[in-house]
Formats: sequence, structure tokens, C-alpha cells
Amino acid sequence: MSQLIKRWVTPGLVLGATAVTLAACGSSSSSGSNPNALKQVPLKAGESPTGQQMYNGKKGGTLQVYNQEDFEHLDSGQAYFSIDYEAMYATERPLYSFMPNNQTLASPDLAVAQPVVTDAGKTVTVHIRPNVRFGPPVNRVVTSADVAYAIERGANPNVANPYFGPYFGAIVGAENSKGAVIANGGPIAGITTPNPTTIVFKLTTPSASLLIGALSLPLTAPVPASFAKPMDAQKPTTYGSKYLVATGPYMFKANPKTGAFLNIGYFPGKSATLVRNPNWNPKTDFRPAYLDQIDINIGGDQTVIGRQALAGNDTLQNDTPSSTVVKLAYQSYPSQITFTPGSGDHYMAIDNQHGPFKNVNVRRAVWAAVDRDAIVRVLGGTLVAAPMTHFIYPGVAGYDQAGGAAGPQVPWNVDTAGNLATAEKYMKLAGFPSGKYTGTSTIQLVGENAPTDVARSEVEVQALTSLGFKVHTTFVDQATMYSKYCGVPAQNIDACPAVGWIRDFADPQTVLYVPFWGPAIVPTNNSNWGQVNDPAINAAMDKAAVVVGAAARAQAWANIDKMLVNDAVAVPEDFDLQPNVEGKQVRGIDDIWDIGTWDYSFTSLK
Amino acid sequence: MLTFIIRRILWGVLAMAIVIAITFLLFYVLPSANPAVLRAGRNASPKTIAYISAELGLDKPIYTQFWDYVKNIVLHFDLGYSYYSSASVTSLISDRLPATISLAVGAIVVTLAAGLPVGIISAIKRRTFFDRASMSTALVFVSAPTYWLGLIALYLFASDIGRFKIFDSSGTYVPLTTDPGRWFGSLILPWLVLAAGSAAVYARILRGSLIDVMGEDYIRTARAKGLRERRVIMHHGVRSAITPIVTIVGLDIGALLGGAVLTETVFDIPGIGRLNYEAITQSNFPIVQGTVLLAALFIIVANIVVDIGYAYLDPRVRPT
Repeated sequence: MSQLIKRWVTPGLVLGATAVTLAACGSSSSSGSNPNALKQVPLKAGESPTGQQMYNGKKGGTLQVYNQEDFEHLDSGQAYFSIDYEAMYATERPLYSFMPNNQTLASPDLAVAQPVVTDAGKTVTVHIRPNVRFGPPVNRVVTSADVAYAIERGANPNVANPYFGPYFGAIVGAENSKGAVIANGGPIAGITTPNPTTIVFKLTTPSASLLIGALSLPLTAPVPASFAKPMDAQKPTTYGSKYLVATGPYMFKANPKTGAFLNIGYFPGKSATLVRNPNWNPKTDFRPAYLDQIDINIGGDQTVIGRQALAGNDTLQNDTPSSTVVKLAYQSYPSQITFTPGSGDHYMAIDNQHGPFKNVNVRRAVWAAVDRDAIVRVLGGTLVAAPMTHFIYPGVAGYDQAGGAAGPQVPWNVDTAGNLATAEKYMKLAGFPSGKYTGTSTIQLVGENAPTDVARSEVEVQALTSLGFKVHTTFVDQATMYSKYCGVPAQNIDACPAVGWIRDFADPQTVLYVPFWGPAIVPTNNSNWGQVNDPAINAAMDKAAVVVGAAARAQAWANIDKMLVNDAVAVPEDFDLQPNVEGKQVRGIDDIWDIGTWDYSFTSLK
Repeated sequence: MLTFIIRRILWGVLAMAIVIAITFLLFYVLPSANPAVLRAGRNASPKTIAYISAELGLDKPIYTQFWDYVKNIVLHFDLGYSYYSSASVTSLISDRLPATISLAVGAIVVTLAAGLPVGIISAIKRRTFFDRASMSTALVFVSAPTYWLGLIALYLFASDIGRFKIFDSSGTYVPLTTDPGRWFGSLILPWLVLAAGSAAVYARILRGSLIDVMGEDYIRTARAKGLRERRVIMHHGVRSAITPIVTIVGLDIGALLGGAVLTETVFDIPGIGRLNYEAITQSNFPIVQGTVLLAALFIIVANIVVDIGYAYLDPRVRPT
């Protein structure tokens, strides 16, 4: 999932104020005698969600949620955005789901047990619970055919699930021999349902581990064909935009006879209401679902809604609070803020195929020159970010094996404050004897015009100009940045700051594959922004994709991470932490396995 | 007079046509996101994007797209469909319009209720403490950015996060038909914020205009006839001095009905302004075009009404 949760700072706020003020409160420094060293700000009691108590909450009550951003898709077959996921995992039951505290192993949700792998990793069998029911208006027991339809409809162009190809493409009948998706919403030969509680996946390659990980994605939440098929014939489907049926503990408030929820339980751009699913059986689910109702208010100014969340009782802010709210909460409401590690990372994609960055030593030089500590400061300090040192971020399997916080100890990576001498050394190796760029190209840098992203870019531009580069910067809105510039290889954009890729599930392949695998480069909507196409890396990824076993996969992808660092395929910026704020009477539970935002199914009121 | 009105309306239609064409061109000429890519979603394949492009008609030549669009508006009053939700633009706009009308009308009422008396009194009591204080205050409000003013107003007076918990906070807006009391309460702060700058402008303009008018010969004549001072000021002075205000009110109403995006954002009011802003960030062109058309329509109609009102107030400008 692409890193599109913006770290907002509302206009007029002073960037870095949080870091400057809070850094002074820190009690340790990362480097004994360096006055400019990044100071670690300690968390106060209760601010770390690690070890949060998920059960024994109080039942009942209505939670008031403030959400600046609107949902993008409420169809489990289309949802691919963090805010959508919060609604998805509260209202739908995929085959597997993660407990809030567990980052590595998904628990059986609709499934009754972990999947069975046979045929040397080419067959995956899942048994589902026999007593899970759809909510109104369908009201019947869920069968394996509903799961099969849910996955098959992902290939329907009217649904167009964004990850069907990468994660389900290996199912027999889904793709042709060239890797192009040929399924179009109809039955897929490799998905069979021998009985109402069993679903079997047959794969063309022994990639069972990857498929098993993907079974925790919303696409596997059951969809009743008889209800949804007529809607899926519309262009685009009206399932998820006008009609919905739930299987989870909650559902969008809807007409119980038709399932219509638009302008009943969801008013686009305004509000949404989640109520209890009357057909949900708590005995079949690990979710406690304490709350009776969740009222979601959409829109508003980010700083205002953050303050409203802190001042309220039964309130919480769903998206990332602004840095002033984080500072206010840390200083004045310490029991109402948490910081979840491992919520993603950001880096600057640089064109590996064209221009000055085609040279690996130039890339290493830029990596060495960028002051990552300064980037952490402009983002708000060590409470919300840490210097990035490699491409698998904290919490993802393979992070420790790839070097942990310090990362691979290669010369261009060791000094997170930037080291011009090291950078110039690599520029000399690149063929610039003075240590500065003396070519004629001007670096075309396109970034997002959000204040934090502009601030990041300024640090990077400073590093580039210190190496003699001329830089032409263009800042546009995020949608334009990706869809017209950075996602279009033909535009030949040299640098795109603040990009990233959040894991889709607990497997490092989901972090590294799409942004760094050569064959993933496409002419439009390209997510391999740096056009990384190293044959050795591609081959290593192809090999690692079929490795079986969590530990072995973690090591295999950690080795690839080291290769990416060695090739300096992108310029690291920061590892993200997710701050979350809540009201006085809220016992919020963070989804540590995801990007750290709230889990409605486990949150309760005090 | 009828000819005058018809001519104004025809010019208005021509203006609308130009607005449609310019907005359409700007969308294609200036950098904006690819709507098919946005609609397709993250990580969509080129095949999906091409499919969606064809569905949205984006693969046709620009002039064909423009012709289809104009035809739909003129013949079917169809503003198209949202690229994201496929909801009709007409329904999205009509859903949001009441909030914007509530905000705009209320703000204009507060503007006139505050700005006109202050302007009149300042003109009559020139160089007194009241005049100096009111004009200084007006200068502050004219200079203050609306967004900042809105935030300050919330931090001072909002019932949940304010220092003095007096007024309803951001996000409390409900439609008039749902609960008139809550509707009114939720709009007090937004009205005051939106009206602050405009009232200040009106006060300053009216003050200047009335000072000029009160020096005219016909005012001296009115006084010489023995009319009471109040009647001289209101019936003779203000009536002449207010014509610039009539022009500005018309433009302001038109602009406000097009959507006060900053105020709507700060106070979380689901109006046209916010709809337009969200559509711009999503490159959701049908909504952008629909909201721009609506704003243009309001401004053109407001101008026509103002011209007619002007002609009524000042017989010298009526066509012979």
C-alpha cells in the first residue's frame, strides 16, 4: 500500500517547533559531545501502545471520531487506503486478520484455523467457520462460495482491485504465461469450493507463503454473489458505493431491506455511522466490539479536530494529528496520546535509469550528503520519526536482520547527520575529481506541496546543491505528483521526495517488491518511482518470492534490503511513528500491525 | 427598462459560456492529476487505467469531450458524474447548497447589520473616538486572513476547545430542517468570522462615500428646508452614498454562494466551497466544472440584480 497518509501540518504553524521544544526536555543524546545531535525524547507512561490491554474493556457507548480525510472506497474489493481499512476490519471478516498487538502472524478470522499448505507450496486449503452470517439484508450463513466470489470479483474491471495481480495472480487461471491478468470477474479455475466450508487455491508457482499473507487483506472478506453480482455489472460497481452487506461486528447504518447505506450511514465528505451488526456472533470472533456505535465526522481543520479530540470525553482523532497537537498532547495530555512505531517510512526516489543518478556512486554520494537528522527535526522530532537507514522499516520481518536501527554499516549510511566529506569521496569515484557535480543537467525534483513534504525536500535540495547540482523544484498536490509526474516514467523526473510503501501484511516482500522490482515498472501509475531495474536484485527477489517459512523469508528479504542499500537505489529519509490522540474517557487500542491507527473493534470507553 | 434587463441577461449567458470554455481548457492545460489514474486507485494496472479512461470518455479528443459536455448541460441539465463515486454532480451540489446558502445569507445579514451602522455613525461623527476606534478595528479585520480569524475564534469561543465556551464549535453544523436551533447555533461563529472582513470594508467605503455626499449642495438644501437631521442623513445622504455598497453586496453574495472554502473548512461545514476544494485535489473535473459554473451563475445573476437595483436607486443610470 503506498505511503499516502500525509503528515499534515496546517498552514501557519511553525515546523520543527515541536522538535525544538521537546528536544530540550530529552534526557539523552545520540552522540555524547555533539551539540547538534538528535536528542531522543522519552515516552511517558502509557504513550507506547506495546503491551496495550486489548480485552476487559467496558461494553457500550458511542464513540465520536474526527476524521479529516474521507474514505476512498468502502467496497472490500476496492479498499486500499489506511482509513478505509479501519472501517473494513470493523465491518468485514477476511479469512485472516491481525490482532492489534501482533505484527507478524494473522489470526484466523472467517477461517477456523491456519491454512494447510500441500503440493510443495502450490496448494493452499482454508476451512471457514460454519456459523458466520451476513448482516442485513442478506442474513444467511457465509459459505466458501462467497469467499471465492469476493476474490474473483477483484479481477472484474468494474471493481479493479489494486493488489489482485501481485498477490492473487499466481492462482491458476488468474494470469497468462506472460503475467498479465486474464481473469475478468468470472470463476477462476484455481479457486475451488469442494464444500460450503472449504476453499482451495491452486497456484502456478510454489508461492503459498505470499498468498497466505494476502488472505488477511479485505479482498478475502465474503461477498454474496446473488446480492452483489448485479451491482458489479455497473460501471463502476455500485457495491460499496450505494449498497453494502457486513460480516463483522459493525456495519454502516443502512436500510435493512435493501442494504442501501449511502445517505443513511454514510454521507460522502460529511459523516458516517457504524452500528452493531445484528447477525454478528461474538462467539465466532476474537474481536470484543465493546462500542455500540461509532459516529465519524469527516472534514474540518486538522489542528482543530485534534484539540476537539483531546478536550472531549468520548472522542478520538482518526488521522495523524498536526505537530502542534502532538506537542500539546505530549506536554498537557500525556495519558491521551500514543506513539506507535513501525508505521512506515519515507524516502526520496531517484531515477536509476537516466540522468546523473544513473551512476551508483552519485547515488551513494547523495545518500551520504542528506542530513536525515534534520529531516526528523522538521517532521517534529524523535517522537514521530527516526532516521531511516534501510528499506525494511521497524516491525516488518527482516528489519533486524537487515541491520536494525543503525542499518548496514556502509560508509554512506553510517552518519545520519550527513557527511559531506564522504559524499564528495563518492562523487570523485563517480568521475567528478573536485567532488562536486560539474555536468550540465539540472535535477528535476517534483514533490508534494504539503508543508512537511516541502520541508523534507528543502533538506534534500540543500544536500544536492552542496554537491554542485542545480535543482529545479516543483511542488504540486499529491494526486498530481503521483499520477502526472512521479508515476509516469516518460516524464523523466529525477527525484521524488517523501515516497514510501507501507506493508500490506506481515511479509517484507510487500514493502520491497513493488517499489524496487524491475518488471513492476509500467508506463502509467508506476510505483517503482526510481525505475530500479537491477538484474541481480530482480533475480534475488524472484527467488525470495518463493521461499517458504517466515524466518527464511525474513532473511532472504533482509539480504535484498542490503543489496538495495548497497546500490543506493533511493535516498532514505525517515522511519515513521504514528501519533494518535484520544479523549479523556476513551481506551483506544492501536493497530500496531498496520500503520498504528485506531482499531474500532477493540477500542472502548472508560 | 425591459430592454435593459434582457440585454443584461443575454450578456450573462455569454459570460457563462466563456466560463465553461475557460474552465474546461484550464483543466487540460495546467498540471493536474490524471483522473483515470485516481479513479482506478493505487497500484492499478495500465489495462485498468485504459479501461476507466474509455469509460469516462477521457480517451476522446478534447473538442469532442467539450461538445458532449456542453450538449449535456444545455439539453439535459446534466452536469455529469463524479469520477470517484459516480454520484451525479447535480445531486452532490444540491446536497451541499443549503449549507452554503445558510452561511452566505447569514454572513451578508451580519455584514450589513454591522457594517452599515458603523459606517454611517463614523461618517457623521468624524474624527471622534468612535470613528477612530471603529476604523482601526475595521483595518484589523480587513487585514486578518479568514482562516486565521476562524481558528482564533474557535480557540477563544468554541464550546469544546475555546477559552470562553460560548458558541458551538466546528463540526456541529446541522441542516435547518433537522434542527433549527442547532442550525442557528452552529453558524453564529462562522457568520461572525466571514462577516468580519466584509463588514469592515463596507464600513470604510460607506464612511468615505457618506462624507462626500454630506458635503453636496442638495444636502444643504434639505437642511435649509427644515428637515430633521435624521431624515437628511438617512433619506438624502445614505440613499446616495449607498450605491457603491449595492454593487459590492451583489458581488459578495455571488462569491459567497460559490462557496467560502476557508470558512467551510475551518468550521467543517459541508458546503460547495469544500466540495470544490476536494474535487480540485482529486482532479474530479465534473465536480470542479459544476461548482465553477454554479459560482459563475450566482455572480452573473447577482450582477444583473445589482445593475437593476442600481438603476432603481439612481435614475441617472436608467437607459432612456
